[in-house]
Amino acid sequence: MAAQKAGELYQLLQTAVDGEIQHVGWMPNSETYGMNNRPSSNGHPSNGSNGNGNGNHRAAASAPNNGDRWNMTDGQRGLVLRVINENNLDKNEVEGMAQQLFGVGVKELDKMQASQLIEELLEKVGKKPRGQRRWSRQPTRT
Amino acid sequence: MSTAIASPAEAPAPTVSEVISHLQKKVSASRLNAFLQCRLKFFFRYVQGLTKPKTAALHVGTAVHSVLKAWNKARWKTQPLSLRQLHNEFTKAWKDTEGEPVEWAEGEEADEQATGWRLIETYIRESNISPDTKPDAVEVPVETDLHQHGLPTLIGVLDLVQAGKIIDYKTAGQTPNTERVAHANEVQTSIYAVLYRDAKAKREIGIELHHLVKTRNPKLVITEIPPMSDQQQTRLFHLIESYINGLDMRDFVPSPGLQCVSCEFFNECRRWA
Repeated sequence: MAAQKAGELYQLLQTAVDGEIQHVGWMPNSETYGMNNRPSSNGHPSNGSNGNGNGNHRAAASAPNNGDRWNMTDGQRGLVLRVINENNLDKNEVEGMAQQLFGVGVKELDKMQASQLIEELLEKVGKKPRGQRRWSRQPTRT
Repeated sequence: MSTAIASPAEAPAPTVSEVISHLQKKVSASRLNAFLQCRLKFFFRYVQGLTKPKTAALHVGTAVHSVLKAWNKARWKTQPLSLRQLHNEFTKAWKDTEGEPVEWAEGEEADEQATGWRLIETYIRESNISPDTKPDAVEVPVETDLHQHGLPTLIGVLDLVQAGKIIDYKTAGQTPNTERVAHANEVQTSIYAVLYRDAKAKREIGIELHHLVKTRNPKLVITEIPPMSDQQQTRLFHLIESYINGLDMRDFVPSPGLQCVSCEFFNECRRWA
């Protein structure tokens, strides 16, 4: 009996240990750990790939197409979708445009490619591309 | 300093504080360069919004730039333009003064137009860029949020990115000195490097300044600049910090010097006290 009880207890212990081993908790990303926020010579973090545009976070620039993950910034993604929706553009046509111009799909465009695509979309729908806009020199008042 | 200017616009014009706040949120190479060159000039141009007639040189530069953009855009879309199509683009660009009339002297316009077209022909001939080469990006607006450095958002438009190199077009009346031109354009090239690195998540291969020189026989001078160094980035960030602080303190004192001879705000400056 004692041997059987000991065997049961050992099995219970083994199961618990196995469970803890399988649940490893937080681990750093082996590809990016230690690469971001390195201090530069002036003490500031360096301007590496963790920068973002329009105050929005962005997925890793080199990440492959992964489901609903977009490489461009959230702001760029919002603008692309807004231009498509407001002008009733065909999403497949826009996807084809990205493939033709950049050789990748819309979700895979990096920040610069996304900016170029937005310029093309704005031109397509008859809006002045952002690159041609100038700071409005409106006179000031006190 | 008195800054009140009546605005005929229906919408209320922004106050000086509002304009300065906007200028502090987004920094471009032209704004930063203007501020560093002369704070009073910056004030007249960007805070008060004073406008001046477009100069002949600016109009030539704008038209040439517009045609080179069309040429690069066509290459990017793998539909290169013929010389005849480029000439049509130039004629169209020349007529477009962007709502800012140019003050021409007697017979000046025809001469300047001929010069502009010769500059484009020279570029197409001497740049050795094949019409079949596809650029990475053309006239692309980019921005980078530098809040992690305690700095504002950086904005800019890159003329051309090709084979990992940032290329910027310039027109000039004289042949540029290679060493001096790299230093004189360091603020702009460093800003472009920061923008490129954030947008592409990698370092630029290099930077090139393509000067189209308006000599009797126009020529193209290409200045190759290595990738931005850490020291240059640090210098840039210090300059942006100085810009933000200067605007905070409303520090818009003039910088009298040789450059004032060609300043469009010379008369306004003389009245400043």
